[in-house]
Amino acid sequence: MQKIVLETVGLTKRFGNVTPLDGIDMQVREGEWVAIMGPSGSGKTTMLNILSCLDTLSEGKYILDGIDTSQVSEKERVVVRREKIGLVFQQFHLVPYLTALENVMLAQYYHGMIDRDDAIEVLNRVGLSHRYDHLPSQLSGGEQQRVCIARALINQPAIILADEPTGNLDESNEQIILDFFKELHAEGRTIVLVTHNPELAEFADRTVRLHHGKVVQHAA
Amino acid sequence: MFLLMLRQSFFRGRRRKLLATSTIILAASLITALMTISIDVGDKMSREMKSYGANLNLVPKSENLPLEIGGVDYNPLKGEVFLEEQDLGKMKEIFWHNNIAGYAPFLKVPAKLEGEGGAAVPLVGTYFSRLVKFAGNEEFRTGVREINPFWQVKGNWPDDGRTDQVLAGATLAHKLGLKAGDRLTVRYALAPTQPEAVTVTGILTTGGAEEAALVAPLALAQRISGHTGKVQSASVSALTVPEDRLSRKARRGADSLDSLEYDRWYCTAYVSSIAHQLEEAIPSAAARPIWQVAASEGTVVNKIQLLMVVVTIAAFIASGLGISSLMVTTIMERSREIGLMKALGAADWEVYLLFLSESALVGLIGGLIGCGAGALLAQLIGLSIFGSTVSFHPIVIPVNVVISILIALAGSLVPSRLITRLFPAEVLHGRK
Ligand SMILES: Nc1ncnc2c1ncn2[C@@H]1O[C@H](COP(=O)(O)OP(=O)(O)OP(=O)(O)O)[C@@H](O)[C@H]1O
Ligand SMILES: [Mg+2]
Repeated sequence: MQKIVLETVGLTKRFGNVTPLDGIDMQVREGEWVAIMGPSGSGKTTMLNILSCLDTLSEGKYILDGIDTSQVSEKERVVVRREKIGLVFQQFHLVPYLTALENVMLAQYYHGMIDRDDAIEVLNRVGLSHRYDHLPSQLSGGEQQRVCIARALINQPAIILADEPTGNLDESNEQIILDFFKELHAEGRTIVLVTHNPELAEFADRTVRLHHGKVVQHAA
Repeated sequence: MFLLMLRQSFFRGRRRKLLATSTIILAASLITALMTISIDVGDKMSREMKSYGANLNLVPKSENLPLEIGGVDYNPLKGEVFLEEQDLGKMKEIFWHNNIAGYAPFLKVPAKLEGEGGAAVPLVGTYFSRLVKFAGNEEFRTGVREINPFWQVKGNWPDDGRTDQVLAGATLAHKLGLKAGDRLTVRYALAPTQPEAVTVTGILTTGGAEEAALVAPLALAQRISGHTGKVQSASVSALTVPEDRLSRKARRGADSLDSLEYDRWYCTAYVSSIAHQLEEAIPSAAARPIWQVAASEGTVVNKIQLLMVVVTIAAFIASGLGISSLMVTTIMERSREIGLMKALGAADWEVYLLFLSESALVGLIGGLIGCGAGALLAQLIGLSIFGSTVSFHPIVIPVNVVISILIALAGSLVPSRLITRLFPAEVLHGRK
């Protein structure tokens, strides 16, 4: 059995009287690819925000790579975020005045070590070998998302968290991104992917279905 | 990487920075101009104030203050001591000779008019505008027209070289019905001397005691009274610096200063040190500063400088507020970017640092450009108000650049707190 990278115990999140997450128990093992699915408003994004330490939980426990994140300070959560997590969003968030390469290097910078060659290599991997020096505004949506993935990969994170990474893309670009995730999975990366798309979820090891903040099904 | 970000953010976001930079430029140029002028205003004002008359009075050492009521001197001339007319040129040989803008000697004698009931009138002899030789053969033009530009004549000024021309003071002229071109015969009132026939060349308005007298070239007053080569007093117009602590201390007597203070006082163009040097040059004379003039020069200059400080502070605050609101907009605009940096693991202070550095850079650039613009502005103000250029003091540049950076930073400090309150989870998912 592989070791557990991510574990939640009775994870609950409340916004006033809204409870988008209500007692979630979930485990993700090293090298696993887990898809989170569910109807709109079921709490998927809220879940991912907590998993990526961008938000705090109201009740329960969240243990990432052996660290109980509910016990650490805001400062340490920043550290956990940059050491352990690679993030991909639905919108392609890039710093608009930095080139593709510089955007990837920015993640290296906050992580503590800049290695230009490394950054170039990752960009080559996502098929952007001729696009280092382009600004985000000069790249297509698919290309921007590939830069985001390159940025998520650069620091060898313990886990890659993606919130509907193909939600804003057309089919051909979706396929390219999907192929990446397959490739990464084959390499043994741990991936948690939120999606609406059952096709995407098909390739995952298993799917967690959320409904009204509860896990309704763990499917293989 | 940080510098790279700073540079890219700055140059690729140029348009955004333009507004902030121009705010700083505006403030910096205003502050530069005001600073440049306020450094120079003392000198400029002092020159300006000279048009309000003399600020030193030179009298014989043993003479008591003249007893003068309504322009009539009740201090009898007999037994009076005089200054030598030829000694006055020594004024231009003192350390501060360049600051002696001019002087006018005075000899006031009681006179009588022939006929018309023999009215008693004071006759004042002085220089109107006359070339005086000093220190060998240097020449310099001096007289009441030079030091009292507010003296006005309806008609013509008498010629200093002639003894048959006089001005009639406005009050006297009114009383006796005199007008330009009238002929008079004047006689010394105290002793029987030769009467002199004179022509009134003009009517004099001064706002002072001279309006009740006949004002004549010095030579006429000397000849009529027999006091050849003598004068009673001289008014001196000196360019002085405003009074300060040192000069006020010196007023208690030069002895109250230690040698260091004395040197500094002596080598500063205070009205008191100039007076002191005049007494050294002309041992028989006592130089009395006319304190009202000297002091009001100082206070006017101080008030102007205070006003400039107030305006400067206002400019500081206004531009700080301008920067502040620009910063708020910038942070709103760039909230996604900030959220992203935080999501990538940037600590709050790292984001702060980026934004404050950008502000500092804006301050630096704005300050430098503003200095240039302000220097020009100062010249314009100098030309339009004082009619002369202002000298530029290099010290203004670093001071201004530092002030500009401070404005930019101070303006950014409060809004940058927004950065802390920005949660990446909210901005990155487009929820706000
Ligand atoms: N900051 C918040 N304050 C109040 N309610 C919130 C907040 N964030 C999320 N919610 C609520 O929590 C619920 C779950 O939201 P969430 O964004 O996680 O849904 P989702 O599964 O990602 O939906 P979608 O598929 O449309 O993206 C929603 O009902 C939403 O209104
Ligand atoms: Mg969502």
